[in-house]
Amino acid sequence: MQSEARYLYSVARTGQESRLGSIGIQKNDVYIVPYKDIAAIVHACEAKPYHTEDKKLAEDWVLEHSYVIDQATKMFGTVLPFSFDVIIKGDDDAVVDWLCRDYEKLAGELLRMQGTAEYSIQIYCDHSCLETLVLAHNQELGDLKSRIEKEPKGKAYLLKRNLDLKLKDLTYSEAGKLAEQFFSEIKPLAEELKAAGKSSWTPDKFKDKRLLVTFCCRVSDEAVKKLGEVLEEINGKEGFYVRFTGPWAPFSFVCLSGAG
Amino acid sequence: MSVNLDEGNLKDGLLGLVVALVEIIQELLERQALRRMESGSLSDCEIERLGEALSELTEALAKIKADNNIEDAVQLVRTDLDLAAEDLIDKFLNPASWNEENQKEES
Repeated sequence: MQSEARYLYSVARTGQESRLGSIGIQKNDVYIVPYKDIAAIVHACEAKPYHTEDKKLAEDWVLEHSYVIDQATKMFGTVLPFSFDVIIKGDDDAVVDWLCRDYEKLAGELLRMQGTAEYSIQIYCDHSCLETLVLAHNQELGDLKSRIEKEPKGKAYLLKRNLDLKLKDLTYSEAGKLAEQFFSEIKPLAEELKAAGKSSWTPDKFKDKRLLVTFCCRVSDEAVKKLGEVLEEINGKEGFYVRFTGPWAPFSFVCLSGAG
Repeated sequence: MSVNLDEGNLKDGLLGLVVALVEIIQELLERQALRRMESGSLSDCEIERLGEALSELTEALAKIKADNNIEDAVQLVRTDLDLAAEDLIDKFLNPASWNEENQKEES
């Protein structure tokens, strides 16, 4: 194979040349290309993207990509991770040229990310539990519920629908308030926090629950324990379930706009 | 995205779609009936007749779903429509996210 390009996994803070071994995608030899006190973690490849129709193989490649980033994080602390299939055309000199050109931005981001990691927080709730809570604290709905039992079939049906719709609206509104409350409890513990979009995948354990909110946060190593305690408290509330995953390399927070 | 169609799931899918749409129309009718009931523009007799008709429609739809075993298919259509509507609403309320999405697609 003519190695006319370099596949880029991440950028780390180290000035030493070294090799990480054959841990790359398709067992490629991963090594470090340093410039000053930063370095790119790469393997030599052809100047074309990795592409396959084989879903399993594609998943393996992505896992191998993540594995290299994890190993680099263990060796050098927080790295700037790159997404799958970022390839720099040219040899190691081209990589050095890029590091040199974008040094200020890369070094600045490495400093900003130092000692932190990305975590994902998903908070699920048991919808019926939330409805019960709303119903118990709303006098109007309570009155409506008792009226239904006394009315004839047709009117009772319409009142029941009215109750259902009002309950649904109030439950949504309550869920929104709770999401804001959780956001404000978590925010002081995170360096950065954002509400993330809906994930297309839900673990089986939470299939029958409603996803209230997904947060993506960058947290310092010192604050993780406290964050765990806050989430444990939320998880302890009746009808609420927290899924807390990480640490990950800070994919969602590294900002390299203009670099490249 | 690939779609697997055979005679069975095409029938279930179409029937599921039709029932889901009828359910949505029924909900709109119910909201209208409730508004009129609350505004006092319906007599007790009209409320009773309307309520019974809508109740019977609910029972009929439930029977169609159970007889054809399409509860999941209907729910799936409704969930997909809800997600599409939520997405659309989000884009109207938060145009910045729309721009970001467009920029991603263009790059």
